[in-house]
Amino acid sequence: MTRVVALYNIKGGVGKTSAAVNLAWTAAEQGARVLLWDLDPQGAASYLLRIKPKVRGGGAKLVRGKSDPAALLKGSDHERLDLLPADFSYRNMDLALDATKRPTRGLQRVIAPLAGEYDYVFLDCPPAISLASESVFAAADVLLVPLIPTPLSVRTFEQLTRFVAAEVARPRPRILAFFSMADGRKVLHRSTMGALAASSDGAVLDAAIPAATDVERMALERRALADFAPHGRAARAYGALWDELQPRL
Amino acid sequence: MEVRGTQLLLSDGLSAAGAADRLAALVPVVTQRAHSIDRAFWDTFDGRLHKAGLALAAVGGRLVLMDAASHAEQAGADLPRGTRRLLLEDLPAGALRERLAPLVEMRALTPIARVRSRLLAINVLDELGKTVVRLRAEEPVALPGGDAQLALRPRLHVVGVRGYDADFDRVLALLTVDVGLQPAPRPVLDDAVDALGAAVGGTSSKLRVALAPQERADAAAVTILRRLLGVIEANLPGTLADVDSEFLHDLRVAVRRSRALQRELRGVFAPEPLRVFRDGFRELQVLTGPTRDLDVQLLEFGELAAGLGEGTAPDVAPLRLLLEQRLVAERQKMVRGLRSERTAALLGNWRDFLDGLVEAPQDDRPDAARPVADVAAERIGKVYRRMVKMGRAIEDDSPHEALHDLRKKGKELRYLLEFFASLYPDEVVRPMVSTLKGLQNVLGRFQDREVQADLLRALGDDIAAMEGGAAALMAMGVLVERLTEQQEQARAEFAASFERFAAKPQRRIVADAFG
Repeated sequence: MTRVVALYNIKGGVGKTSAAVNLAWTAAEQGARVLLWDLDPQGAASYLLRIKPKVRGGGAKLVRGKSDPAALLKGSDHERLDLLPADFSYRNMDLALDATKRPTRGLQRVIAPLAGEYDYVFLDCPPAISLASESVFAAADVLLVPLIPTPLSVRTFEQLTRFVAAEVARPRPRILAFFSMADGRKVLHRSTMGALAASSDGAVLDAAIPAATDVERMALERRALADFAPHGRAARAYGALWDELQPRL
Repeated sequence: MEVRGTQLLLSDGLSAAGAADRLAALVPVVTQRAHSIDRAFWDTFDGRLHKAGLALAAVGGRLVLMDAASHAEQAGADLPRGTRRLLLEDLPAGALRERLAPLVEMRALTPIARVRSRLLAINVLDELGKTVVRLRAEEPVALPGGDAQLALRPRLHVVGVRGYDADFDRVLALLTVDVGLQPAPRPVLDDAVDALGAAVGGTSSKLRVALAPQERADAAAVTILRRLLGVIEANLPGTLADVDSEFLHDLRVAVRRSRALQRELRGVFAPEPLRVFRDGFRELQVLTGPTRDLDVQLLEFGELAAGLGEGTAPDVAPLRLLLEQRLVAERQKMVRGLRSERTAALLGNWRDFLDGLVEAPQDDRPDAARPVADVAAERIGKVYRRMVKMGRAIEDDSPHEALHDLRKKGKELRYLLEFFASLYPDEVVRPMVSTLKGLQNVLGRFQDREVQADLLRALGDDIAAMEGGAAALMAMGVLVERLTEQQEQARAEFAASFERFAAKPQRRIVADAFG
C-alpha cells in the first residue's frame, strides 16, 4: 500500500526540502519506488534534482483533474525516484483548489491514480497554513515536521498539533517531528531537544539532522546527499531518520 | 514506473568500454565504474512470466520483477532464504506478490538460469547535467554449474527516463544510425536459457500439432499421441518432486487425451496391442486420481471456507489438516506407482509402438490409411449425435449418472475438436466449441459439487475424532448444504445450456460439416 508522507511546517527555512529530497532518495536507494511531489512554487526540490520546475497546464488544471499527472512525471537520476515537478503557478494553489468541488480533496485526486506505482509518495509542502495545506492534511498519512530546536519552533509545532486535532476531518494524518539543523554545541538546542523529546509521547523521532555544510552544498551539487557525500554526517543522519520513520509508516 | 527501453547488440569486436567511447564522442555522458552481478532468473515451468514479457531475477537476496526488454524494475521483495521453489504464499505480502498473483496463479517459480554479467553504466546527460537516458553495456555469461561459463552475446540496454522521451529517441537514433548497432532479437535471459539447453519460454503442455486433411489417419494419430507422450514425460519429474499441483494436472490431461484418442480412433490400431495400452493408461489415470482430487480440494479450500463467513471459517481448520494428511499418504502411493518399472515400461513400450505404427500391417487396422479428415469427421459427427441423444433423454428426475455420462462424452468431443479443429473451417468449429464449453461448464459444476460433498461426507467420522472436531463437523454440514445447493443450481441450468448445444441450426452445421 502506498504511504503518503508530507514534509510540512508552518515556518519556512526549516529543512523541509532537504529532508524531502534526501528521504525520498534514501527510500529509493533501499529498493522502494518513490514519488516526490514538489508543491512549493519556489521549486527547490525540483532544482536540487536538476529538473525544470514546469508543469504543462499548471497547478490549476492538475487539481481540477484536467491534466494526466502520469504524463507530467519526470524521472530523477535515481531509477526508482520520480518527481512531479513544481510550477510557479502553484503559488495560486489556494485559488485553484477553491474553484474545485471539494477543495480539501484536490491533492488526493492527483495522487490517487499514481498511487499503485509507488510505495511512498513524499510531498514537499510550502510553508503556511492555507487551503493547500488542508488538502495536504487530507492526502497525507503522516505529516513529518522538521523542527529547529528553539522554543519558538516548538511553539509552532504545538500550534500545528492543536490545529490538526481541532480542525482537520478524520482520518487525520499522524504527526511526527524530527529535529532539523540541530547544533549540539548550542545549549538552547540541547535543552529544547531534551525537553520536547521527554514530553512528546514518541511524536518526536530520535534521529536528528545536524546543521551541516553538506546540506548547504546540496544546492551547489544539485544532488541528494547520499549521491555525493554518502558517508558524511548529514547523509548518515537522514539514513537513520528513514530507518526510524519507515517502520512507523 | 513505465519507462521505454530496448536492447541493441554490441557488434563484433565492440566492447562495452569501446561503446562508451564511441558514444562520448556524440553526446555528453558520464560513465560509471564497471561491476559484475550474478542473477538467477526464475519462472514457472510453462514460462508464464516470459509470456508476459517479464523477467524475475534474484540479485543479492532480493527478487526483482522487471520488463524483460527494458529491464525496468516493476516490483521487488526480499527473496525467502534457502529456497529453490516459490509458491505465491511463500512471498512476503506486497507489490511483488500482487503483481505476480494473476500471472503465476497456482504454479511454482523455480530458478531457470544463472547469468553473470559485467555491467558498465553510461548515463547520457542534458545541459543541466541530469541523466536523461540510461545505457547499460552488458557482457553476460550463463553459468551452467561448476566453473563453466557460456559466453552470451554482449548488448547495450537503452533505457529511457520518464518525461524525457525526445532524448530517448535522439540517443536511440544515434546508436542505430551513427554507431550502426542492431536491435537484439531477444533478451539476455532467453540467450542464457538457450545456451543451457533448456526450452526458451518454458515447456508448454498445450497440444499444438499441425495436421493435413489428406494425411493418413494413423500417421496423424501418431503425431498427436507422440506430442501427448512428450507432455506426460515432461511433467513427470515435476509431479514426482511435487513442485506444484499443475504438473500432475497437465500429466493427467495428457493421459486422458491419449485415452480419448485411443478409443475414438481405435480403427487405426490393431486390437490386441491397443487393449494392453488402454489398460495401462487407465491404470495411470486411476493411480493419479486421488491425489488430484485432494489437490483440487486444497486449492479450492480457501474459497470454500471463506464462503462460511468470518465467524465459522476457522472451524474448518481440522478439515484442512485432514485433507493435507490424506494428500501426503495418497501422494506417496502415487509416487511409488509412477516410479515403478511398470509405468516406465508402459511409456517406453508406448513410444516404441507409436514409432512402428505406420509401418505395421494394415489387415486389422481398417482406418489406418484413410485420410484423417474423413475419419475425424465421422467420429466428431457421431459423438455429437450421441450427446444430443443422451441429453434429450435427461429428465428432471433422471439419475445423476446420466449427467455424469453426458459430461464424459462431452470431454471426448472436446478432445476430438482440439485434436482435429485445424482440419475444418473456423465457422464450423467455433460455435460448436463455444456451446460445448457452456454445457460442459454446467455439467462440470454439477459433478464437482457432488464429488466435493461426497468427500466431505466421507471424512465426517475422522473429523469427529479430531480435536475441535465437533465445530468442524457442523461447519462441514453447512458446506455440504451449500455444495448441494450449487449442484441443484447447475442442474437447473442444464436444460438451457443443452438446448444451445443441440439447437437445430447447430445440428445442421454439424451435419453439413461432419456428415
